[in-house]
Amino acid sequence: MAPEALQSARDRYEQYKRHRFSGLVSGLVVFGILAALPISLNYQFFGLTLAGFLTVKILIVTLIWAYAAQAWNIMSGFTGQFSFGHAAFFGLGAYATQFLLVGFGVNPWIGMLVGGVVASCYAAIIGALSFRYDVSGHYFALLTLAFAELMRNVVLNVGQLNGPHGFFRPFPEEYASGYGLAAFQFQSDLPYYYLILAFLALVSALAYGIKKSAIGTYFVAIREDEETAASMGIPVSRYKMLGVLVSAFFTAWAGTFWSMYYSTINPESVFNVLRNVEILLPAIIGGPGSILGPIVGSFLVIPLGEWARASFTQIYEMHLLIFGLALILIVMYSPRGVVSWPRRLQEVLGLVGTETQEEDSSSATQEGD
Amino acid sequence: MTTGGFGMASGPVPLSVVGDLLAPFERLVGDVVSLDPVLVQLLVFGVLLGAIYALIALGLTIIFGVMDVVNFAHGAFVMVAMYVVWYASGTLGVNPFLVIPLAVVFLFVLGVVVHVLTIEPILEAPERNQFIVTFGVLLVIESLVSIIFSPDPRALDLSLGVLAMAGVRIPVGQLLALVAAIGAIGLLWALLYRTDVGRAIRGTAEFRDGARYVGINVFRIDYITFGLGSALAGLAGSVLVLYHNFYPSLGHNYIITAFVIVVLGGLGSLRGAFAGAMIIGLVEVFGGFYFPGSTYKVLIFLVFIAFLLLKPEGLFGGADHGA
Repeated sequence: MAPEALQSARDRYEQYKRHRFSGLVSGLVVFGILAALPISLNYQFFGLTLAGFLTVKILIVTLIWAYAAQAWNIMSGFTGQFSFGHAAFFGLGAYATQFLLVGFGVNPWIGMLVGGVVASCYAAIIGALSFRYDVSGHYFALLTLAFAELMRNVVLNVGQLNGPHGFFRPFPEEYASGYGLAAFQFQSDLPYYYLILAFLALVSALAYGIKKSAIGTYFVAIREDEETAASMGIPVSRYKMLGVLVSAFFTAWAGTFWSMYYSTINPESVFNVLRNVEILLPAIIGGPGSILGPIVGSFLVIPLGEWARASFTQIYEMHLLIFGLALILIVMYSPRGVVSWPRRLQEVLGLVGTETQEEDSSSATQEGD
Repeated sequence: MTTGGFGMASGPVPLSVVGDLLAPFERLVGDVVSLDPVLVQLLVFGVLLGAIYALIALGLTIIFGVMDVVNFAHGAFVMVAMYVVWYASGTLGVNPFLVIPLAVVFLFVLGVVVHVLTIEPILEAPERNQFIVTFGVLLVIESLVSIIFSPDPRALDLSLGVLAMAGVRIPVGQLLALVAAIGAIGLLWALLYRTDVGRAIRGTAEFRDGARYVGINVFRIDYITFGLGSALAGLAGSVLVLYHNFYPSLGHNYIITAFVIVVLGGLGSLRGAFAGAMIIGLVEVFGGFYFPGSTYKVLIFLVFIAFLLLKPEGLFGGADHGA
């Protein structure tokens, strides 16, 4: 059906996709666009400017959740261990950073690494216990939620962490030589944007590396069928643990960034039940298990939510309505996420057969656990 | 609370961590030894709270028993019922007690609608999909209520008064809630064990495919069960509103407590849900009284985690899975 030109273009695209550096090139293109985005906000396209819809602040929030979702993806998208408790790691990152910064004047970059290690330790406890006692399905999701709620209640009641009041981020002069990268604080929003973009690039590159390596193959094997993977000689628990640790470590960085960008943290803001959802939302919308998914998903829902929050100032629950509807519709009608839409469109148009599951098929779609 | 003393706890509290952890227990033991009347009072409050929890948890557990769905939206159902009673009694200008049946019926219908629209199509999908979708439903319901009625906390302001018996004070609103809970649990028992529909529900919970083989319309049983579970949440909400203030995000406080209860009792077990509700009700009241701040919640979550790991079938699970 398709004309010759289209056919040859598609062939060339297939060729490109098989090329060794195609991932690198695609990554550069995506991150090139993201890097150019805040600068191009004020350019006129057909009489419209992007600034009407997007601000640098919204872009930063979008990237924070894209980053956190990418970290969540490494555990839940790749290995299929569905976590509903990533707020624990997010909050631990935020709290470790601010506790060390406010209490001991420790530089937030060190705090960030400490936060990552602390979150990984907490994740190791969760992982060790749940894999040891073979917790899966509903029980695993509830268990991760329980660990997140446990952390919220612990922090609420510990006086050294200021209980329900949390911490105020200090001024940079108090622990460094003023604003700048070393202090993790800037006077304008733009440097924050490029910082979180660098974080996102780092964790995306890592996720890509994992996915293309033998580890990624093991992860997917575990996700698809744990028992078969074990019978093939893959040390299942060890690889699941690896996914959990890496995921927690980088999720904590999102907490650090959040605590340095906004001026206060408290248990209700960083360990909130809704945080768990905000972290997995972009990955679910975009397509769990794919690298592009969390980024695409975040750009689809977060700006919309922020826009709703800003436009309906009296109705500040509007963004939750959008998030809720997006979750319901995507999981019910397109559980492989938005990144599967081009393929589905082709299928609908009859350009390709409805064969084979795509390589990027999501954890949320697989039948049977 | 009564003005009953703290027993031996009035002395200086030691500043060590161990001392901090032991002090509440010391006070409890002291009160038990001295037969402090505050214990009876706390017991009464614990049972009153447990009764409400039992209503919520029963609805959640029967849905899980029949369909294996962990329903996050259940908490939102409790909250919606509170708004229904408040709104209907306000606009119709009638006594809130008279609109309770209306709220229960409304919640039954809402449950059936939610089930048919969002749960039934993905019953065969992996568990995490249902987890996400029911949370999505929770978000949608909460934000809709918040958009329509504003997020401000409200209260009915009935001031039903307080009964005082032998030094124990029982708020009338909570007493009525207890009576309603006992009545509803009795009715639920009669429905499940004395009617054909109840037999079909129990059969489906026991063995879904088997139920299909013997000609039970499982689709119908599913939505009846979901409606029934929501109606129980609705009853819980409409008696809770008699003495409790309410706001749109109230649902997710209750849903997490309800998860703790049903896992404690065994997902799918009715007896377990009831026992778990009483245990958690008592722990919350005693813990809130003896422990500083909300430390007792840390304890509750530790127990919850221990059960998930060591005894996921709960206290009463396994033996009577389903009903």
